Amino acid sequence: MKTISAIVLALLVFSIPVHAGDDDFKSVVKMIEQFYRVKHQGIPFLAKAGMKAATTAAKVKGGEAKRISEAGSIKVAVFEDQAFNGDFTKFRATLNGTLNDTWMPFIHTISGKSAEQNYIYLRNAGDKYDVLVITIEERDATVVQATLSAKNLALLLKDPEGTGKSITEEATIVDQE
Amino acid sequence: MKTLFRMKITMPLILLIALPIVVQAQDAHLQLSSLDHLAGKANQTVDVNVDERLMKAAAKLLSDKDADERGVKQLVEGLKGIYVKSFEFDNAGEYTTADLETIRTQVRGPGWTRLVNVTSKKEGNVEVYLLFNAEQVGGLAVLYTEEKELTVVNIVGPVDLDKLAKLEGQLGVPDLEIEKTKKNNEK
Repeated sequence: MKTISAIVLALLVFSIPVHAGDDDFKSVVKMIEQFYRVKHQGIPFLAKAGMKAATTAAKVKGGEAKRISEAGSIKVAVFEDQAFNGDFTKFRATLNGTLNDTWMPFIHTISGKSAEQNYIYLRNAGDKYDVLVITIEERDATVVQATLSAKNLALLLKDPEGTGKSITEEATIVDQE
Repeated sequence: MKTLFRMKITMPLILLIALPIVVQAQDAHLQLSSLDHLAGKANQTVDVNVDERLMKAAAKLLSDKDADERGVKQLVEGLKGIYVKSFEFDNAGEYTTADLETIRTQVRGPGWTRLVNVTSKKEGNVEVYLLFNAEQVGGLAVLYTEEKELTVVNIVGPVDLDKLAKLEGQLGVPDLEIEKTKKNNEK
């Protein structure tokens, strides 16, 4: 009887989704630093300023640009002018290992010629969705985590590559402002 | 002895719990990881994973009021997964028949039927397979090959060619012009 109870309990425990904290973003940034031996630029104010600036950018650009302006939080890490040399298949495996199961790998694209890697992961966040967009190029990289509304999730599902790029571009426009 | 007795009871119980999970996993979801090694040779690689969790969440989260949300919701409703692997190479001969066989052996299994098979030097080769569970379609697989390209699309759940045509260009599904291929095949 005890054994049956233990199995039922174990099944119940494993069926409860484990919600990761905000550490996943930091873990990914740290993993990139260790894997490629690079350092990200510290922009401590960006997390707070990002939202405001992104809204401003969206207002200025309007329409199509309004991807992340509704987001509840944005986290950005930028790596500039550093060498991203390494086996991308190993990188991908390490990245998947770094993120816990609550993050669903959605789309990965690798372009050999331009040495560009794009990774988009999604995570359920109640009535919204968290998106993690990782872009690695030959000399630069960006990690963006944002919260998407249902509409923006629909846009991301419709056009993953285009919307993923827009999210990164918008977040890094903030960086330049 | 007591332990052995417990094990005798526990093991079938575990199997009973685990078996449906194993059977479900064997349905239309193809194992595509055998192609992963091609990423190292490819000039362009696309890997899409829209699993059941994401499908369900999207269907629940997306509203019917907004046109964009409604469009995606209608596409994903009922589906259990969309998986795509696509490789573009600089040179011909980067993938082998053995690579293709890892997919073909799976769609030769029980329930699978080849619906379309087009061989064209110009437009590439397209093979479309459907999995039937009794009279219902349980999934679809598309194998598209060109000299310098290999794409596999695997959709799990009730799907037909019309729905596939609507999915093309969305949710990471590449535009394979399946509808055109189907018409050409019918002629």
